[in-house]
Amino acid sequence: MKRVVVFCAFALGVLAASAQAESILIKGGKVHTLGDKGSLESADVLVVGGKVEQVGPSLSVTADRVIDAQGKVVTPGVIAPVSELGLVEISAASSTNDQSVTGESIGSAFNPLPAYNPKSTLIPFNRAGGVTSAVVFPGISTWDDGAVEAQRVFAGRSFAIKLNGEFDSVEAKDVAQKAYLGEAGAQLAGGSRANAYAKVEKALSEAKEYRENRAAIRRGEWRELDYSLADLEALQPVVSGREPLVITANRASDILGAIELAKAFSVKLVVLGAAEGWMVANQLAEAQVPVVIDAINNLPISFSSLGARLDNAALLTKAGVKVAISGPDYASTHNVYLSRQSAGNAVAHGLPYEEALKSISSNVADIFNLQGGTLEQGAVADIVVWSGDPLEVTSYPEQVLIEGEPQSLVTRSTRLRDRHLKPTKGHNFGYQY
Amino acid sequence: MQLHSRVFGRGVVALFCATLLLSACGEKKVESEQRSLDFARLDAFPSTYSVSQSRPVLIQGATLLTGTGEQLENTDLLLEGGKIAQVGKDLKAPEGALVVDGRDKWVTPGIIDVHSHLGDYPAPSIESSQDGNEMTSPNTAQVWAEHSVWTQDPQFPLALAGGVTTLQILPGSANLFGGRSVTLKNVPGRSVQDMKFPGAPYGLKMACGENPKRVYGGKGTSPSTRMGNVAGYRKAWIEASSYKKKWEDYVKNGGDEPERDLGMETLAGVLNGDILVHNHCYRGEEMAVMMDVAKEFDFKVSTFHHAVEAYKVADLLAENDVCAAMWADWWGFKHEAFDMTEANIAIVDQAKACAMIHSDSGVGVQHLNEEVAKAMTAGRRAGFDIQPKDAVAWMTSNPAKALGIEEQTGSLEKGKMADVVVWSGNPFSVYTHVDQVFIDGELMYDRADEKRQPRSDFELGILNAEGERQ
Repeated sequence: MKRVVVFCAFALGVLAASAQAESILIKGGKVHTLGDKGSLESADVLVVGGKVEQVGPSLSVTADRVIDAQGKVVTPGVIAPVSELGLVEISAASSTNDQSVTGESIGSAFNPLPAYNPKSTLIPFNRAGGVTSAVVFPGISTWDDGAVEAQRVFAGRSFAIKLNGEFDSVEAKDVAQKAYLGEAGAQLAGGSRANAYAKVEKALSEAKEYRENRAAIRRGEWRELDYSLADLEALQPVVSGREPLVITANRASDILGAIELAKAFSVKLVVLGAAEGWMVANQLAEAQVPVVIDAINNLPISFSSLGARLDNAALLTKAGVKVAISGPDYASTHNVYLSRQSAGNAVAHGLPYEEALKSISSNVADIFNLQGGTLEQGAVADIVVWSGDPLEVTSYPEQVLIEGEPQSLVTRSTRLRDRHLKPTKGHNFGYQY
Repeated sequence: MQLHSRVFGRGVVALFCATLLLSACGEKKVESEQRSLDFARLDAFPSTYSVSQSRPVLIQGATLLTGTGEQLENTDLLLEGGKIAQVGKDLKAPEGALVVDGRDKWVTPGIIDVHSHLGDYPAPSIESSQDGNEMTSPNTAQVWAEHSVWTQDPQFPLALAGGVTTLQILPGSANLFGGRSVTLKNVPGRSVQDMKFPGAPYGLKMACGENPKRVYGGKGTSPSTRMGNVAGYRKAWIEASSYKKKWEDYVKNGGDEPERDLGMETLAGVLNGDILVHNHCYRGEEMAVMMDVAKEFDFKVSTFHHAVEAYKVADLLAENDVCAAMWADWWGFKHEAFDMTEANIAIVDQAKACAMIHSDSGVGVQHLNEEVAKAMTAGRRAGFDIQPKDAVAWMTSNPAKALGIEEQTGSLEKGKMADVVVWSGNPFSVYTHVDQVFIDGELMYDRADEKRQPRSDFELGILNAEGERQ
């Protein structure tokens, strides 16, 4: 009898798989759903058609493929809240970079999407580190120590990707707009953060004016506006509240300025940086403004981040602020997967464990309205099976699924390792690959 | 005699082994009568470092990672007179000793960061404090990193809270010869001399690859290529050889005293073995070239830093007894950092070369234990059997060797400086804290006691006039 049931289930599984990806049963792992079911000491996750079909202890189901996760930890894939993945290959080689433009007055209208390269080496590397999706933002290029171009307090448009390396891996377009206040804003706006504030304020104001008088403005029957029509078009999703405005600010007073601007224009704000966020945690919580922080950076590295500390994530979360943790700035976009090390350090400094897992997955999905981040029925099957605690520096991903598809974990780093594992004289290495 | 006293008077000549504590000294005993020129100028800015060991310390029943390849369970460690006095079971606490309950705790030697710019590139990072790179000529061997150190850099106490007891402060990498490094004990100091590691040899910072050619090629001057870099090194070593010979001839034969040259003194100090070469060098090919440059001019490279491709030439490093200082996983910021593998440190270590972690970062320096943990894990994934007792050497005894201070510190052995970290658990976990740090036996940091957590001048009244930076 039992055999028959199994057979039927198997047959159904095959049928389902023919329509889409094969069904996968991840058996017996410690599962952090980051959803209503919380964390389950030993549970199965059934993936069908690229989605999570069921989660629970000892599911009586079969699947095309079974992954034994006993002694392992199962979580939603890591989502990088800020990255330049697919826009940067080698930071100091300008011909390989497309994350920023200089010498042209493009602000909010800058759309980096056509430059996106899903075949970048950074993508398999970060995928092998457990990252399944990422938000990609334009940025300021500062490597050459050259003066950054003035005028552009807006960095431009963004998009979200899945890290499967496919040409159709763009998950969402226009995820958020990005602007600079504080110290970076001051640099971009001629030397004073007050002018950066004024420029953002004016842009939002003109974007509203444009929205209300679009026809007349486009016919040229309107006063001259400071910002180009392309820039004002790009800000429409921001002023209509459809997409968040990400503002970089670290100093507490700059964060309050951002909150003030967001209130005045009814903009959905996300503060990026927020090194001194803990000092204004209540104001952030009250305004329901989430933050994206570099949780491991406790250096008073500028006069704008004198209050940087390792328990920033803990204090913000405690106050009710939604926190996303980015990869550490010092390791650049090449290592965005290290957000999990930062999250581990945040736990060591008071952030509750599950909150830390959320800060690198479900909170990011919530903030940018992306798929993933939880292992609940119907959720996209972006899943990582870890060798152990995902926030621990001695753990690593053993299986990565993106939309239910098992992913390769081979990278240039592992290829080079395997070739040179025992370096010896001679020419043989050239024939080992 | 008159000649010698004159030279002594200027401080140029000293007994070869008189002030140095290099391990090489033992082997050179035969020559110890021979007088050698003190190009290193060891007494020019003498260390005024001192600690006041108020009382002995007994750490009881801890797990010890000795730095010499051993993990000792439930073991006591006695610190007395600033030194490690005893390692063993059931040790008696001397009268008045500070007794530390080591149950569930792990103990390691103090962490040594062989590549730091603290004080020279301090926080906050503002234009007026960028004192690490004398970017005015490809050869600035005449500058000394210690003369830039801002002792009140708040990054020093942060590094201490990460278990770092010793750091080498290096000039930057813009130049072929960046200048002289200094090794510091991580203690509060009003002067850099107050922090100078007594007896540590000086280092010479050299740089391969992209940085010098970018900085000077960009100005339309030499070097603008890697071959230009190498020509620049060789030209300087030819000059230094001749400078050294001129002084040796003078000491031997008398005549007019040659003119001193600060840059040449540093290079000649390398040639006579007093100053150690610390060479920023990413690529395997360039490391191989630099080891041949060293052979051509009869000196030794102590350590390649940022050695992202060390794994490709690990056997060569072992053969030449050259160390490699590496990151766990940084890559891609430059072309020469593109061929990173996380197993780098492990592969170099397995090839029997001297491998170590380094930070080059005010953030990374606080988490070197985590960086070693990642590198150890990558090594295991590559199939190597690497345990905490082995990997701890990558942040303790191996950097001590690179700095020429392995006779004094870097391991939990009797007679060594009592530079010791007490951890809340296994140091190779992200959740483990540094509980206490002892430097020369003195409690310099205690996580449980705010009064034993140093603050730099900068941190007082900075966000809150009545408080300290949190």
